[in-house]
Amino acid sequence: MQRNDTLKLSAILPAAAAVAMLGIAAWAAGARDGVHFLVTNDDAATVFPPSTVSFYAIAADGSLASPTRVSTGGNGIAGGYFGAARVLVAPSGLDACVYASNAQSENIAGIDARTHKLAGPFRGSVPDHKLARNGIGLAVSSSHLYASFSGSGNIGAFQIQPGCTLQFMGDLHAQGLNGGLAEGMAIHGNMMVVAYGDGSIESFDISGGMPVSNGDAQHSTGSRNDYFPDAVDITRDGRYAIFGSGSTAAAVEVSDISSGKLTPTAVYTLGTAWNSGSVRLSPDESVLYVSNNSGGRVTAAFFDKTTGQVRQGCTSSPLKGFYAEFTYIGAVATELATGMGGLLYVPEFSTEKTSYIGVLRFLSTGTGCTLTETTHSPFAGSPASALLSIGVYPPRPF
Amino acid sequence: MGLGGALAQTSGCPARPSSNSVVKNPPELTARNGVLKVDLTLRSREMLEQALKVCYVYEASSGPAEAPTLRLDPGDQIELALTDRFTYFRHHTQPPAPSPAPHDPCAGGTTATTSTNIDFHGLHIPPDCHQGEVSVTTIENTDPAFAYKFQISKDHPPGMYWYHPFRQGSATLQLNGGASGVLIVSGMEKAKPEVAGLPERILIVRQQFDDDDPEAWPPGEYRLSLNFQPAFYPHLPSPVIQMKPGVKEFWRVANATAQAFLALQVVFGKTAQPVRLVALDGVPVRKSVDLRMIELPPGGRAEFIVTGPAVGQGARLMQTEVETGRTGSENPPQELAKIVATADAQEPPALDGAPSRPAESGWAGRADVMLAEGRATAVRKLYFAEATNGTNGPTRFFLTVEGQTPKVFNPSGPPAVVTKVGALEDWIVANHSGEVHTFHMHRMHFLFLEVNGKKLANPELRDTVTVPAWEGIGPYPTVKLRMDFRDPRTAGTFVFHCQILHHAEAGMMAKIQVNP
Repeated sequence: MQRNDTLKLSAILPAAAAVAMLGIAAWAAGARDGVHFLVTNDDAATVFPPSTVSFYAIAADGSLASPTRVSTGGNGIAGGYFGAARVLVAPSGLDACVYASNAQSENIAGIDARTHKLAGPFRGSVPDHKLARNGIGLAVSSSHLYASFSGSGNIGAFQIQPGCTLQFMGDLHAQGLNGGLAEGMAIHGNMMVVAYGDGSIESFDISGGMPVSNGDAQHSTGSRNDYFPDAVDITRDGRYAIFGSGSTAAAVEVSDISSGKLTPTAVYTLGTAWNSGSVRLSPDESVLYVSNNSGGRVTAAFFDKTTGQVRQGCTSSPLKGFYAEFTYIGAVATELATGMGGLLYVPEFSTEKTSYIGVLRFLSTGTGCTLTETTHSPFAGSPASALLSIGVYPPRPF
Repeated sequence: MGLGGALAQTSGCPARPSSNSVVKNPPELTARNGVLKVDLTLRSREMLEQALKVCYVYEASSGPAEAPTLRLDPGDQIELALTDRFTYFRHHTQPPAPSPAPHDPCAGGTTATTSTNIDFHGLHIPPDCHQGEVSVTTIENTDPAFAYKFQISKDHPPGMYWYHPFRQGSATLQLNGGASGVLIVSGMEKAKPEVAGLPERILIVRQQFDDDDPEAWPPGEYRLSLNFQPAFYPHLPSPVIQMKPGVKEFWRVANATAQAFLALQVVFGKTAQPVRLVALDGVPVRKSVDLRMIELPPGGRAEFIVTGPAVGQGARLMQTEVETGRTGSENPPQELAKIVATADAQEPPALDGAPSRPAESGWAGRADVMLAEGRATAVRKLYFAEATNGTNGPTRFFLTVEGQTPKVFNPSGPPAVVTKVGALEDWIVANHSGEVHTFHMHRMHFLFLEVNGKKLANPELRDTVTVPAWEGIGPYPTVKLRMDFRDPRTAGTFVFHCQILHHAEAGMMAKIQVNP
């Protein structure tokens, strides 16, 4: 690993604290005013016009209204890693910003969710200006945004500043034990956990802004077989990291990170649905929503946030249009920021005409569950969109 | 420039013919007194902004020549000395450090792009080092000549086979550069008297990509070539096949591509003409049939009789579009050659004898009728599957026996299948992925019985078959293949795999151990 700091932290941190304080008020106001939307990174690869994010109003019944398209000021790449989040809604406490990556332009856009005003796009280091053909994944803390550039193999650190702007701090070249690049990233407090997609995982200390390895890079337990972690989520209390795996079947792995380092993962197989490269905890942490990316299905599993144990739940049928209108699905987002999240939205990836957003209803039956696509599902994405990442505002509270 | 970096070598490969020249048979080497001796050198030549050229070169009387056709009779011995002098390193990679100790190719080696070996695709030869072993044998570009030595059995089926690199880490790159040739076991005219005396035309379809990077997406421009002549019409004029008007020729076609699925048609005007199929994958078919399309997966071969067009009649050899599944690679239509009828056409040399009435059985060694009627001693279920990290990969490829954990192939791992001499097994091979795969068995043919549970009207012996892509819903597509291990010569450990070479390199391969 090598480190390419390009800016001294000491000049930035005091300003960041002030920005964070100002942002809390703005975000709280947003949550109160009933604003509720879904946003997609359209990831369009066409050079003209530039790519967009699309804002959909979410109606009371969960349906999505015609989107407002906002330029990201750059070009997407129409695909890449399943585990990488290409669009993020800033966490509560900050300005209502949406961050979206432009993988072909190798930069990050900041967009004010209320005014739809574009800030940036913002670039990383010179080495990061290399075609990110597997996308640029994003993760965000209360003060920083981290971008995994699949072209350079670097994780870039950005200071979050007012008006949805970013200030680039520096890069860390991050590579897995078998040569993989950072795919899924998740943050809790001062800890960032990374899945490399090559069977290995690692965590970083981000207390100083720049990521510093915790020295715990390791092969996941599942990598002995067929399970290579691609995506990661972290419990609200920061006790467990949960990995979704690229696989011929469905599986998640759980690592106890309460010590501040990764511990050997426990593997939970979730059935035969194909692939599990995206994983998302429900707002109440009782359920894991797993995208069977290659099989066009969604799997739900019950999660015990006290013990970190996972119990098999249910799997949907293949979503409407699978292998006819779309080929892969991306990461699930929940309609609501509370409870089990209400309806589930899932990006349906196609590069032929347009992508779609599938909608599913999760019902827990006590001992089991059902996952059923709604009658009105799917909703068409913007023209030329290639959807793998979506977000919902207000965001999950962790 | 030293060995580090992408080495430009200006004289590594002989010049290849231009796209619009007349198609000629490859140079040929035949056995003398029962032995065919040949010294081949694997070389490379990197061209600016063009595909890498990779070649099997030998010293002909006229100077260096490339990719000879090796012609042997049943019972002949081949003594092939292969010297690896391939020098190209994939961009951003470094050459391995030279080993201080003498290297034993039979003990393995590096997976650098410079390593190599040879697979004699389809031949019934022992799976031992210096013969048919491919999963361990590794020849480095600093090694002395490596000797392949084996005998074509006296009861070997007559027909067309082919040779190509099959070392993990380099096979696809080297094949895409053009490193391949064909091997003909003589005797087709005895098995199929209808081809006796006909001009014998040998056509090798290869494939080249501009970009050698397996992670690049989309890959470089898709290109086919016919006997090394680029088939890229209308961007380039097509290769020209000259025939005498209305005269029959015996065409022997090999799909020597890494991943192209061929569906060949001989088209006069806009009408596909019937061609008479006489052999598949090196084995005479049970009964010759007239077809208007010949489908060949990567690695497959077909031998058929073509009648030339009339003078002035527009005629073409066409590759028609093949659907490779939702996540499969593009496989577009392409004109492979123009067929021009002219009275003074220089025909290729004719096979021995004069054409005669078709024979129904021909090859004395054929056992497929008995195979089809026999009772299987075991049924095995296997499946192709993929695990991908994203829409562009990276992807791990698996060929797994049902009930076992999917694993990418490990040459030192245990065999996935253990059986014994005497077994007659039905293998049902499923495809759990959204792209087609090709099942290839080393060292033996199998009887291709069924597709998706439907019996084929004319089961034939094959060594490479297509397993259709899964369509996203419904049952997984399957093929049913009968494996005959009754011959004591099948004893040994060898491999089966997907013949899409980068799939095999990325793990879609497994071992079978046949105990005596």
